Amino acid sequence: MTDETQLAPTTTPVTPRALGRRQWPLPKLADPAAPLLEVDNLTTQFALPSGAVHAVDGVSFRLDYGEALGIAGESGCGKTTTALSLVRLLPANARITSGSVRLYGIDLVPKSENALRRYRWREISIVFQGAMNALNPVQRVQDQIAEPIQERLSVSPRAARKRAAELLELVGIPKKRGSAYPHELSGGMRQRAMIAMALACDPAIVIGDEPTTALDVMVQAQILALLERLRDQLGLSLILITHDLSVIAETCDRVLVMYAGKVAEEGPVPDVFTRPRHPYTQKLLSAFPNIRADRRTLDVIPGSPPDLRTPPPGCRFAPRCPLAMPVCSQVVPPEVTFDGVRVACHLYPAGSSGQPVPVPLAPPIAAAAPDPAGESVA
Amino acid sequence: MTDELLRLDGLKVHFPIRSGAFDTVLGRSTGVVRAVDGIDLAIRRGEVLALVGESGSGKTTTGRVVVKLTRQTAGRVTFDGRDVSHLWAGPSLREYRRRVQIIFQDPYETLNPKQTIGDFVAEPLVVGGGRLTVRDRAAKVARALESAGLRPADQFATRYPHELSGGQRQRVVIAGALVMDPELVVADEPVSMLDVSIRTELLRLMLELREARGLTYLFITHDLSLAWVLADRIAVMYLGKVMEIGPAERVIRDPHNPYTKALVSVSPTTTPPSSGGRTRRTILVGETPDAAHVPTGCRFHPRCPLAFERCRVEEPPLFDVGAGQAAACWLVEGGRSLPVLPPTGQ
Repeated sequence: MTDETQLAPTTTPVTPRALGRRQWPLPKLADPAAPLLEVDNLTTQFALPSGAVHAVDGVSFRLDYGEALGIAGESGCGKTTTALSLVRLLPANARITSGSVRLYGIDLVPKSENALRRYRWREISIVFQGAMNALNPVQRVQDQIAEPIQERLSVSPRAARKRAAELLELVGIPKKRGSAYPHELSGGMRQRAMIAMALACDPAIVIGDEPTTALDVMVQAQILALLERLRDQLGLSLILITHDLSVIAETCDRVLVMYAGKVAEEGPVPDVFTRPRHPYTQKLLSAFPNIRADRRTLDVIPGSPPDLRTPPPGCRFAPRCPLAMPVCSQVVPPEVTFDGVRVACHLYPAGSSGQPVPVPLAPPIAAAAPDPAGESVA
Repeated sequence: MTDELLRLDGLKVHFPIRSGAFDTVLGRSTGVVRAVDGIDLAIRRGEVLALVGESGSGKTTTGRVVVKLTRQTAGRVTFDGRDVSHLWAGPSLREYRRRVQIIFQDPYETLNPKQTIGDFVAEPLVVGGGRLTVRDRAAKVARALESAGLRPADQFATRYPHELSGGQRQRVVIAGALVMDPELVVADEPVSMLDVSIRTELLRLMLELREARGLTYLFITHDLSLAWVLADRIAVMYLGKVMEIGPAERVIRDPHNPYTKALVSVSPTTTPPSSGGRTRRTILVGETPDAAHVPTGCRFHPRCPLAFERCRVEEPPLFDVGAGQAAACWLVEGGRSLPVLPPTGQ
């Protein structure tokens, strides 16, 4: 948990253990009783020549101290835009049109670009997907990490370098590799460097945007284990944006499933993953190849996500939903909460039992070829 | 016609490392990258064999040798009973390329943004299809598009790649491979770029095509769970060697090589750890060494939690462990089972 004692920016050496503590005071208007992050009815639009795209359309969620939240969904569902909206790192043609993003109770949406700089990296930092694109190819890794420390925390170059070295050690990069250029590091090492950079200013929240997507399975497992350890050690709160449900199953406390810019379902990971309610969540989970399940039972979601310039009226998943009712294509389903799980689906109206309604699954894929058992290997 | 469609014997692909223009001119090399380092494989007609491995395992290079895009350094490639190792030019190569097609990972890179779908699919016919009338060609293209699930074909044929979704683009790539009526399709990460909901449709399509056209697949992937869903047999590669091979059911449920076992243990699953059912994970320390510095003995020994003295000096062959399964590990010599792997942190 974040230690809220007020410390001045320090030039004294910081040990990894102390990294979890704040090195500077909370913002003046911070309300210690407020939740760490509370997003309410966030709406972000992209202006395109062909019309406005409602990439994020009324998304609400909250993140508590030390909690890990996974935001799941397919390409174009608005999960990355949601994350970038939190610190307003949006492309020039995107704009938050309504809603609030409250950090320690302070709304960041009305803040000026300049005022927001105080929050980026120091309160909320981001680990991007493509470490090769995000790192500067002509600067040594340790210098890239030291730079924001020196600039944001106003410490001496020497202290910044020292801290960079500690951060590298913290994320498992051997000290002597710090002087390497990004291209000299493996994909896993580069992603570790990105994580070190995100931790540079000791933020309360780290957002990982597909942090393990381009990595090999074993390296992915290593990076996820690292994030878990850092969360523990530093009391971090995490937001993991990913299309990979397994990453969320393994590392997060809560999951928010998005579809076409809206929240489909949100709740604790064990509940949502074992008893999914929303037909989209159910379909998504059963379309995920799983070596611990039977072979060839992969589900299919027919069709493709809607064009967000002209979203369908009513529920946006209705055109692809096997359980769609007439009401679904007319009325936008409200979000209703059952035992801590929030779901936006007409199958679960307020006052109903909220018992999951199973969706029909696709038949198993074609049977295997006759197994020529006993035949030995070439 | 033989039952065995493709066979690789002792296949090696070594790339020389040249450290500058001077070396290149003189043909001098300062080392060698052993991308593929002696593999034996056989694919039966109508079978899906998955070649699974992490980056740098040599799986893609193996696929490229099969489709004649990369020359092997040593070893033999036999296709339909014929040695095609030295087939590098002429009509026989064209005929081979008709029978063996490849599907690449990224449809965005495979397709030409300025070419219509119909022209893209027709291209192999123009290059290697012999003499065809315009009408015959159009009919073949339409049939390929429809087999790939792009119906009605005439509507898709006139469109451009940017007008299609990611899943449809990959179907176009598949249609481009089908138009030549191949027997063997090398599919290199064909669904890795796609969303989960679209993936399944393509995997289903691949299996339907196998039924309908008697296709055989060499399915190259880094994702063990996709191999599990699609393949009849799985070969696991590490640093240029096959570490384990066998029926999918056996390799996944009862791995006999420590690398396979660790890989299975960390394979992503949507079962949250708190709800039980999670087997212990063995996270290997470090990363795959580069193929210019292959360790002595068993190439996996520096990362293997079970390695002992012999592994450091002597490379294990593939030991037959029964039921069509074989594993390269000294611990399973004589059909023994592997001991339990210790779970390791990072």
